[in-house]
Amino acid sequence: MTSRLVVTPRAKPSMTVRAGVPFVALLVALGLGAVILGLTGAAPLTVYRTMFDASLNGARAIERTLTYATPLILTGLAAAVAFRMKAYNIGAEGQLFLGAIAASGLALQLPAGTPAVLMVGAMLLGGALAGALWAGFAAVPRAFLGTDEIITTLMLNFVALALMNYLIFGSFSFWRDPTRPVPQGNTIPDSAAMPVISGRLHVGFAIAVALAVLLWWVLRNTTFGFRVRTIGDSPRAARYAGIGVPFATLAVLAISGALAGVAGAIEVSGVTNRLDPKSLAIELGYTGIVIAAVARLNPLGVVPVAIFLAAIATAGGSMQSIGVRVEVVVMMQGLIFLSVTAGEFFVTNRIGLRPAGPPEPAVTAAAADALEGAS
Amino acid sequence: MNDSVLVLSIASALVAGTPILLAALGEIITERAGVMNLGVEGMMLIGAVVGFWCGVSTGSLTLSLVVGGLAGAALSLVHAVLAITLRVNQTVSGLSLVILGSGLSAFLGAAGETSLLERANGVDVDPLLPAALRDLPVVGPILFGHDVVVYVTVLLVAVAGRVLYRSAPGLSLRAVGEDPAAADAAGLHVVRMRYLATAIGGFGAGVGGAYLVIAVLGTWQTGMTAGAGWIAVALVILAGWRPWLALVGAYAFGALRGLGFTLQIAQVSIPSDFLTMIPFIAAYIVVVAVSASPTRARKVAAPAALGVPYHREER
Repeated sequence: MTSRLVVTPRAKPSMTVRAGVPFVALLVALGLGAVILGLTGAAPLTVYRTMFDASLNGARAIERTLTYATPLILTGLAAAVAFRMKAYNIGAEGQLFLGAIAASGLALQLPAGTPAVLMVGAMLLGGALAGALWAGFAAVPRAFLGTDEIITTLMLNFVALALMNYLIFGSFSFWRDPTRPVPQGNTIPDSAAMPVISGRLHVGFAIAVALAVLLWWVLRNTTFGFRVRTIGDSPRAARYAGIGVPFATLAVLAISGALAGVAGAIEVSGVTNRLDPKSLAIELGYTGIVIAAVARLNPLGVVPVAIFLAAIATAGGSMQSIGVRVEVVVMMQGLIFLSVTAGEFFVTNRIGLRPAGPPEPAVTAAAADALEGAS
Repeated sequence: MNDSVLVLSIASALVAGTPILLAALGEIITERAGVMNLGVEGMMLIGAVVGFWCGVSTGSLTLSLVVGGLAGAALSLVHAVLAITLRVNQTVSGLSLVILGSGLSAFLGAAGETSLLERANGVDVDPLLPAALRDLPVVGPILFGHDVVVYVTVLLVAVAGRVLYRSAPGLSLRAVGEDPAAADAAGLHVVRMRYLATAIGGFGAGVGGAYLVIAVLGTWQTGMTAGAGWIAVALVILAGWRPWLALVGAYAFGALRGLGFTLQIAQVSIPSDFLTMIPFIAAYIVVVAVSASPTRARKVAAPAALGVPYHREER
């Protein structure tokens, strides 16, 4: 006798399910990746083993991974706070570039003798401001005209990218090193470099984690956070409750842009030490969106997800040594995102088998539960 | 006269606009059925790399475009499973598709002994019409000087416009996108139609990507769409989900993309990075302007169920 699949919603997914499903999804993604790798003639196990060694095996590897995770945490937070209010800011990518442009500009402009604390502080603030202002180009039309922010933020990403390229590759701007024939950003002074925690890992990581905790607390415990969540759940209810939706939209998108801008500033201060379009334009903003989604828009969840993704991304460099293309890591990220996103369905629904027989009486799972409860 | 700057740039606008138009046309079908697939950029890249590989191996334009389209459709089915069957957030699924598409295309494009990065274009793209027509003053290069794909695409726009508004399947498709519950009650297969519409969208994006790499650019480069897919997504909204307006918009974007070439000949020096910005700034301004005009906004409404998964039990 044939059976058929029955899908019933889970009332409240247990912890095991919530943690177990993403884990299984991850294994599925690794399996799919192995198939693709195998088809193109690479040895999947060697690839995964090399990835693990490059990003998680040993102190140096872990430092590298956490450093890489830093901007991803921030762009993840940028997406999480905006998406929580159903303001789909896809523009973290461009806001990050603007943050990097502002921070490197400040570092080059301020006297090199400025104390490091002031210097780095100014860069972070400048980056946040620039990111927030860039987000404003999408936030203002959205708040007052209802303009679709997905499209505006996206278009602004490409404008920001072209602007950054212009500053380094297209002109002899203030940002470009005049002494070198090959276009390259001017190196920022030592006082503008982010202090180091250990090896490559810089204080920016701690800042990112602190901002994650702060954002989590603000969304959970403050009036502002309550407003954001209410608008996200029902804009109409929020309006009836007297919440100023346009203002909240502006505020949330500004915060979102500021977080992405800080990511850019931290990258300049802690990693690139100059405005370097090649190492900044690596889709940190887009990846952040998917990180936020996988973390279910929870700021605290963003941190581990970003670190995990960073572990895969950092392994890219080591792929060369075993003759596999760097691009494999982006492909793996895509597979993992899709697989984990698909897993969401299995968190909220239970799949069972039911033998196909004569039509059963229409007793749904919910009704059955209710009956049990009554008896 | 046929070598004048204006004539050449209008002619090149049509060619440059065609890949965007193909992708946008597909996405219009997808979104009209209520599925929002933001993964156009990823599907175009996959279509491009597979189409280019097919071109290098076979030299056939038709085969390359069809195979590229099928590759795009295959990738779109991943989104279909997630968005339609598993009912996940379509924005997230679409973005993941872009990441997967760009990673996979870069990986495939660089794989092998002699990778596609080092291969020359294997397909000759010839003008369709006889030289007598092509050499006509002004209208020759603009209207008659193109390859077959440009004309077929215009034909497809006409067909799509006709089918969407003047045929039973088109009505069903729109019904599924406006009110899936009512469509379901009327006996339409909501899930089946949405899968089909998503696959058509993926096919359009794949063909667009393949045409872009084979006929417009001529060589494969990692991430070579450079935002064309996103322009297509924006275009769908700008055009109010209507095929003919998408055609106008796509050619306008094509003209903006070709502006650099035009200005260079006219000896106006504008940094190339600013030229890159122009289409995106234009799209931004148009989107804001459209939303600022209340009369238009009311007429140009998105499909009511766009991006909303359909679940029978919640009917």
